Amino acid sequence: MNQPGQQTANAGGSFIPAPRQDMEYICADCGAKNEIKSREPIRCRECGHRIMYKKRTKRMVQFEAR
Amino acid sequence: MAETSPKIKIMAGAAPDLSAATFQIFDESHTIGNALRWMIMKNPKVEFCGYSVPHPSENLIQLRIQMYDGLSSLNTLLEALANLDSVCETIENKYHSSLATNDYERWEERS
Amino acid sequence: MPPAITYDSRKHVGVHAERVSHVSSTNFPGHHPHEDHSWDLERFKKGLTVKIERLSNRSIEFDLVGVDASIANAYRRILIAEVPTICVERVYVWDNTSVVVDEVFAQRIGLVPLNVDPALMDMKQTQNDQATDRNTLVFRLQVACERRKNAPKDTTDPSKLYINHEVLSSHLKWVPQGEQEIVMAENPPAPTNLNIVLTKLRPGQEVDMELHAVKGVGKDHAKFCPVATASYRLLPLVILNPEKPVPRELAEKFQECFSPGVIRVDPRTKAVSVDSKKTRKETMSREVYRHPEFEGCVQLARVRDHFLFNIESEGFYPPQRLLPEAIAVMRAKIATIKRAAETLLNNGDSLGDVEMADV
Repeated sequence: MNQPGQQTANAGGSFIPAPRQDMEYICADCGAKNEIKSREPIRCRECGHRIMYKKRTKRMVQFEAR
Repeated sequence: MAETSPKIKIMAGAAPDLSAATFQIFDESHTIGNALRWMIMKNPKVEFCGYSVPHPSENLIQLRIQMYDGLSSLNTLLEALANLDSVCETIENKYHSSLATNDYERWEERS
Repeated sequence: MPPAITYDSRKHVGVHAERVSHVSSTNFPGHHPHEDHSWDLERFKKGLTVKIERLSNRSIEFDLVGVDASIANAYRRILIAEVPTICVERVYVWDNTSVVVDEVFAQRIGLVPLNVDPALMDMKQTQNDQATDRNTLVFRLQVACERRKNAPKDTTDPSKLYINHEVLSSHLKWVPQGEQEIVMAENPPAPTNLNIVLTKLRPGQEVDMELHAVKGVGKDHAKFCPVATASYRLLPLVILNPEKPVPRELAEKFQECFSPGVIRVDPRTKAVSVDSKKTRKETMSREVYRHPEFEGCVQLARVRDHFLFNIESEGFYPPQRLLPEAIAVMRAKIATIKRAAETLLNNGDSLGDVEMADV
């Protein structure tokens, strides 16, 4: 059935494994990009909001239209 | 599978001369089952005809035909299929001639 | 005056206050003694009427008179479940930051009717068949929402504030594969309705997908169904009893028991009659049976072999093409069974050779 997160060498080769770097997060309030580092408080640099979202995967995901 | 499975099977227990037989027709439903039953029942040489869908999870129908005078139920089935085809042809022709007359109300429907 | 209609249990289905009677047809050989009801194509042709009543760009109404319910029902069932159409079946998502989650979005896209002639495409034999230019259409859906630079300050209207605040069916862009560019040049694949909202977007949100459309039938998934509705009903009949006319002072009350236009009341004599051209409008509410003063005045019935079809097209087919398509599917089915039966006949001169099921 649906295979979210399926690792496909997809058409166009748009997915190049990114070099290991700090994960970027999106502020739930203002949408600004943030980095989260260990032992630092989770807080938006722009607005001080304390909720962050993880970014969506850049991988292709396949679904059945059913 | 090397061989494709047959569309029709005659079930065990049929009369040796096929004057009474139950046919399993695969990948068919009430659509063909009921129409075929009706056409076979229109044949005066037929003692009995009925069909069933034994179970909804199996995509097949069972068609039972019993004939008078030891006649072949398979021939009757073939004849009924030909007749059913001519029914379709007749309806199609009449439909097209009615469409060609333009003798009907035309209207515009917003979608 | 046309001859008065009387109830005939062979031709009519009785409609009573709380039940129906004479539902099944009895015109089979052996049912009525000394009568010939065997199949006769010429007799069938004589008794058959197909008449189109109304036709619009979206629907058709026609009468099919003189056939058995099994035939009318076969066409209705085929229209709903077995006339093929083209629909999006696979969705490959690179990005979807809209509020609608991927699987729901994919399902919504699947339901969008496409204007592709199914005759131009092949059906995939199995679900995992290799996709080719003969069995798969490719669409791209790439939409990103942005703020409009010169939007008025005081407005709250999203269409003035943002660019692409809605993903519409018109955003589906066909990507021709192989010979499709030539084959489908006359009528490039696109949704039939370009104004279907698939999801809403806000600035920063974006959708990027590839869609693969295939040929399928309604019994596999309702999105492949070529019709919105395909239904028939039997012609209503209102039979007045000449032995017991409707009392003059109750003529208007009697008229109001039926749908508008079905019952005529003579303005001078207050005599009640049935407008045979309008009986098809009767809803068969059976209201007249609720009033004891009309008992025995009237009998409601339906004509067992007079089918009033109503088909609403949704998708590629113009409404007048739907019945011929259904008939073609029916004839193809008959041909397949016929070929199989002929093989049985040729292989099985002695029963030993006939393939017997194990059951």
